[in-house]
Amino acid sequence: MSKDFNPRILTFACNWCSYAAADLAGVSRFQYPPNMRIIRVMCSGGINPNYILKAFEKGADGVLISG
Amino acid sequence: MNIQLHTLSTVQEIKGEAGDFTISIKKAPRYVDMDKCIACGECSKKCPGKTPDEFNEGLDKRKAIYVAYPQAVPLKYVIDPSRCLKLAKGKCGTCARVCPTGAINYEDKEEIITLNAGAVIMAAGFRPFDPSALDNLQYSKFSNVVTSIEFERILSAGGPTSGHIECFPDKSEPEKIAWLQCVGSRDQNKCNNKYCSSVCCMYAVKEAMMAKDHISGEFEASVFLMDMRTCGKDFEKYYERAKDQGVCFVRSRIHTITEDKDHKLICTYVTEDGKNVKEIFDMVVLSVGMETPADLAKVVRDMGIELNANNFVKTSSFSPVETSRKGFYVCGALQEPKDIPMAVMEASAAACDAGTSLSLSRGSLTKIREYPEEKDVSGEDPRIGVFVCNCGTNIGGIVDVPSVAAYAKTLDHVAYVEENMFTCSQDTQDKVKKVIRENNLNRIVIAACTPRTHEALFQETLRDSGLNKYLIEMANIRNQCSWVHSKEPGLATAKSKDLVRIAVTKAALMMPLSQPTAGIMQKGLVIGGGVTGLTAALGLASQGFFTTLVEKNDVLGGNALSLNHTWNGEPVAENLSALVREVKDHPMIEVLTNTIVTSTSGFIGNFKTMVATGKKDKVIDHGAVIIATGARERKPAEYLYGEDERVLTLLELDLKIAGDSGFVKTMDSAVFIQCVGSREPKRPYCSKVCCTHSIKSALKFKELNPGMEVCVIYRDIRTYGQREELYRAARDKGVIFIRYNYESKPVVQKQDGILSVTVKDHVLGKDLEIRTDLIGLASAIAPGDNAALARMFKLSLNDDHFFMEAHAKLRPVDFATDGIFLAGMAHYPKPVEESISQAKAAVSRATVVLSKETVTVDGVVSKVNEALCRGCGACEETCAFGAIVVNELTNGLKAANVQQALCKGCGACSVACPTGAASVFHYDNEVLSMVETALDQ
Amino acid sequence: MTKDILVLGGGIAGIQSSLDLAEMGFKVHLVESLPSIGGKMAQLDKTFPTNDCAI
Repeated sequence: MSKDFNPRILTFACNWCSYAAADLAGVSRFQYPPNMRIIRVMCSGGINPNYILKAFEKGADGVLISG
Repeated sequence: MNIQLHTLSTVQEIKGEAGDFTISIKKAPRYVDMDKCIACGECSKKCPGKTPDEFNEGLDKRKAIYVAYPQAVPLKYVIDPSRCLKLAKGKCGTCARVCPTGAINYEDKEEIITLNAGAVIMAAGFRPFDPSALDNLQYSKFSNVVTSIEFERILSAGGPTSGHIECFPDKSEPEKIAWLQCVGSRDQNKCNNKYCSSVCCMYAVKEAMMAKDHISGEFEASVFLMDMRTCGKDFEKYYERAKDQGVCFVRSRIHTITEDKDHKLICTYVTEDGKNVKEIFDMVVLSVGMETPADLAKVVRDMGIELNANNFVKTSSFSPVETSRKGFYVCGALQEPKDIPMAVMEASAAACDAGTSLSLSRGSLTKIREYPEEKDVSGEDPRIGVFVCNCGTNIGGIVDVPSVAAYAKTLDHVAYVEENMFTCSQDTQDKVKKVIRENNLNRIVIAACTPRTHEALFQETLRDSGLNKYLIEMANIRNQCSWVHSKEPGLATAKSKDLVRIAVTKAALMMPLSQPTAGIMQKGLVIGGGVTGLTAALGLASQGFFTTLVEKNDVLGGNALSLNHTWNGEPVAENLSALVREVKDHPMIEVLTNTIVTSTSGFIGNFKTMVATGKKDKVIDHGAVIIATGARERKPAEYLYGEDERVLTLLELDLKIAGDSGFVKTMDSAVFIQCVGSREPKRPYCSKVCCTHSIKSALKFKELNPGMEVCVIYRDIRTYGQREELYRAARDKGVIFIRYNYESKPVVQKQDGILSVTVKDHVLGKDLEIRTDLIGLASAIAPGDNAALARMFKLSLNDDHFFMEAHAKLRPVDFATDGIFLAGMAHYPKPVEESISQAKAAVSRATVVLSKETVTVDGVVSKVNEALCRGCGACEETCAFGAIVVNELTNGLKAANVQQALCKGCGACSVACPTGAASVFHYDNEVLSMVETALDQ
Repeated sequence: MTKDILVLGGGIAGIQSSLDLAEMGFKVHLVESLPSIGGKMAQLDKTFPTNDCAI
């Protein structure tokens, strides 16, 4: 993999757990690469497969579903 | 909220009597203005004062100005005056200089405040036992000997080693850890804590399992114990799982620990068969028990509350949260060591009793806010206002806020953009309201911190300016941007712009959502007429709610009808008949015996339940329901039960003794066999009550006939909490205890009319045959037939067919479905006092529902487009909350319907729906558009 | 007779009592000697059976 590969990652995070965890990462000042954009959902069970397909269609290199 | 929090406060004095107490409270200075502190942490970063961190059990350091942990409530800094250079020596003053909001106040003074209250709840908790004085365990001397609570901090990602388990001195990962049980519990030699602390077995198993997860290399966990007491709900299965995953459980006490030159710990113990063993461990965890600290005990006594010899608040089994002083209630570990779910249950029970004593004043002091009338903006084009927060330097120090604001102005539908120093401050809020009105804004985007802490605040701002509260979207450019990309300001700014664009895209699509209200039928239904159901019905009626109690048998009382005494010797029959009388005489209770529930419909506040008494049907309208259907003692199929009349269950034995105890004097020998049908593959749970019950019966035999021989054949003796005293008393009185393994169960035989039990003795390693006149079988407590009720109310059962609560720790009497509550043995086997606590807890939770006249429903819920719905029912099957059901329409077609009051907005139905008929407000096309715009470049 | 209720101790038990009473419509004073509430449970890493974070 080339060194300058800069993946674009889209994350769906559950409001009640992962989204809160992402907030906590901030409170704890953990540093991570700024390649990811988080979309808050009310439950990972409510993530329509269309959202994922749309993400890839729009050129996402990865989709992370966390809940 | 109606809770006023007094932190850094201690009670000085409580005068007066129940219904009218005057309390004086000493409030220590915080030196930080809570209204101004935004918890940015700048002060702490620059503070030069360091001191051991109590929250991490002194394993690392904190600053003189600090918050205990990042999620602390209130999330406000505090200065430790003994460590602060400014306060102690008049030097420094750095924190005041760097604080962006001017929150530091070195002049803050101690205050004495006076409060009035009608009731007091004591929830002062416990202190973990301090093992420093135990010289054999060398806790103070050896760094690799830690307490269990220190180990919790070591495991924690937010702890001193960020979750890495490290040995002294080279920070190597341990390969072998030993847990030592009963440190400061069940011990009269080294300390005076005779009781069992109830929680240590389970937390040691958990810590051992967690340690396995944390350690990458070879790892061996050993737990040294006397009896494994995993008697809580689903605990036994976890213990079995730990065994399967290789955690060793050793029945022995390590008596001496020494250290070798590499700081490894040499532990000496004697095995069950008498061999002396030296084993080397890298780390030893002391499973410390719970105790009431002496200073707390004094404070409690000085308040006029009676404590027992163990320094726990004295209570009765039939009023488990009442103290000796009227108007004072107790819950949690101050009453007796207990785990989290038990403490939470009792806390609700104490709230129930305290609330009942003052039920007339319920609601009289609460404030209702008024808002301007909501403007209808649904027909307007979006005019979005974007507010970008600097959060002092938290965002502004990293992200180029002016450039983010400038970018926001270029986005579609954005009508107004502003930068703020602190968007959440009161003066900015007032300004935002003005801006909304002046610029006719109808959607708001706040680019600041996280919606999880601040969305509610901004929703209020919208309501105050006449906008629907759902017309706000937040862009999280602090917690999920500036704070986590502080080394890359350019990329953080670019990400902030993306986050603002995504939020604006969603905001443009958002519509006002309604929050329908539904009336509440302020009546209760209790199913089950045992001690739990009786207590629950009486509780609801005492709170002022008319309640129907349904019992399938012809008498009230349930299992308690066959019980003689509670563990601490209180007579059951008298208390039960008083309870039954009170229920029957209560004008607000309708008792229906010989009655079963046949169907139910509706939702929180509005249930309609059909019951049948014989052939007569009746509809009961109610707002909440408490399920208290209990469990029963299983009829054994083993050990010659039913074949020989000298083999009895414990309840049968209680009845026999209550009838005429004369037979005891004629016996020479009696044997109790434990775990009959419990803790085996068919019923892998512990029935919790039987160890105590058998020992109680054994003691009764010894009291009536001191000369007779009494044996208890057991797997682990589980006399948790202060019940341990019964176990001690039984041994003192000469009751013989013989342990067996599941693999080699005792054998009961009858030969020539002589009854005998043969069991393999572990110490001697050979079979013992005991001739006996009576065998008491501690038969399992089995769940009733809960399936039908579970189906009707759409509730879940666990693998053992007990009802499953909403959350094992924090919502032990709630169901996932609102308005339905759980108490007693329908939840899990438990003794009378715990059933009563739980019944009161359920009353408390139900009162929260019934005390309101209406229920307001959240706006972010699912909706069904009937035109697209085929009525297939996929959504109904998926919904965990019973919130969506397929109904027949007037035209004969079928369509799903959302019960908004039950819907949590999770969207599972929308994913299950094959036609796209079901969707969640604001989380449908909105999300799709967010995805689209998120990846624009 | 209109009275508040005093809860002594801001651990998990005190918090639960306060929440229940407040939701029933009582005014509650929750008194805690430390700077923040949460008690011993806040110090625990994970809890059985879900192994959720304790916080």
